[in-house]
Amino acid sequence: MLLTMFLLGLLYVGFAGVLFAAGAGAAVMAVVIAVFALAQLFLSDKLALRSMGAKEVSPEEAPGLHAMIERLCIQADLPKPKIAVADTDVPNAFAIGRSQKAATVCATTGIMNTLSPAELEGVMAHELSHVKNRDVLIMTVASFFASVASMIMQFAFFFGGGDDEDGGLPFIVVLLASAMVYVISFFLMMALSRYREFTADRGAALTTGRPSALASALVTISGAMQLVPETDLREAERMNAFFIVPATVKGSIKTLFSTHPPMEQRIARLEQLEAQLQTA
Amino acid sequence: MGFLDALLGGQKKLKTAAPDRLFAMTTAYVTMATELEMISTGSAGIVFQPLATADFEQILRDTEELLAGTAQETGTALESSDDEHGYRWIILRDPDFEDLVVAMNTVSTELAAGGYGDRLLAAVFPFDKGAANDSASMPNPSRGRRVYFIYNYKRGAFYPFVPAGGQQKRDSEAEMRVKAQLSKEGIPFEPELSRWFPLWEIPL
Repeated sequence: MLLTMFLLGLLYVGFAGVLFAAGAGAAVMAVVIAVFALAQLFLSDKLALRSMGAKEVSPEEAPGLHAMIERLCIQADLPKPKIAVADTDVPNAFAIGRSQKAATVCATTGIMNTLSPAELEGVMAHELSHVKNRDVLIMTVASFFASVASMIMQFAFFFGGGDDEDGGLPFIVVLLASAMVYVISFFLMMALSRYREFTADRGAALTTGRPSALASALVTISGAMQLVPETDLREAERMNAFFIVPATVKGSIKTLFSTHPPMEQRIARLEQLEAQLQTA
Repeated sequence: MGFLDALLGGQKKLKTAAPDRLFAMTTAYVTMATELEMISTGSAGIVFQPLATADFEQILRDTEELLAGTAQETGTALESSDDEHGYRWIILRDPDFEDLVVAMNTVSTELAAGGYGDRLLAAVFPFDKGAANDSASMPNPSRGRRVYFIYNYKRGAFYPFVPAGGQQKRDSEAEMRVKAQLSKEGIPFEPELSRWFPLWEIPL
């Protein structure tokens, strides 16, 4: 997922660079960027659901899940989102949608079978917090700004170099420089994503009043992650950014590249919240 | 929640309860009985998240004692139960509707005073619609139905909920009709239909 996202963004920036080199004006560029951003905002939720094999479920099909989410919505003061279920053993859940009203919350059959009701409630509250905090929109806007930043970079090089043809920098330098800008903004985006995961954990604890249930869910999920079949893991790889816990837990190094904070840190913060609750 | 809150990572607290509007029911129920044949079942419930903290249980016990004290005058009976979703219900029974609302208000006020007002989910008033004889030539589809009036504490608003029998089925038509019929009664109805959350298996 991470690599895909990264390459996709890079392609995006490269494409814009080529377009610009081909002589497209600033106005054309702006339109192209805006179309990309809008397409991302309006289509990504449907694509994400389809790639997970998730289907929207009616209250008759999943009465327990609907009732649980309805009560959490009252508590979190949210309109009811669409609810989807993905038929996979990978225990996970995610929320998508550009606004609170167009949100979809999805759980896998794996997570519904693995977790206790209180744990599942914590996880769904976490996903609803993402909806409440408009995290999908914010991450889309952030990635948009990352692209715009490298775009400005390209303009600066082309125009900053002066008018004479010989004084302009070679195209490859411009491309490399905008790629650099993109890489830096990419890491900033990852940091933003990790911060928003913590926020969603806190939101979930607030909504359910049971921080320890979410902590216990995180432990259960990360334990179960290592047991699920390899094929399912690969299948799930693409979806990591939306997941409550990334599907490939390798345990080390990747903190800087990660969309999610380390499990231990999340649990430690939830423990703090529980302590606050008990002593308040 | 404002834009800045969203940007900085969401709210620090849940919305707390808006209990005062509960009393809108005390004027509306008369019209409901006389004009719409909607009769209170003589019971009402309040549903909330029970927290596993020491003082929360203490506040609940104090509240129950307080209600038991006033019950000697009003005759309000009280019981509590946990449902399968992990929420607690306090069920109040009293043939006098106004006493019911007052008792409900006592529960929410006590929880709010203890700092747990944000745990309140909803207050529920069940009514039986048109249980009386039906000699009209036109069959009325909403006869003999249970109508719940649900008060969402976070929103400070009411909405009707009519289960249609069968799993997770509701009669949205009947719900909207009830709202229209009571539009002049000054009940603060929830304007957004997407927030007319059902509550299944209400123990009332």
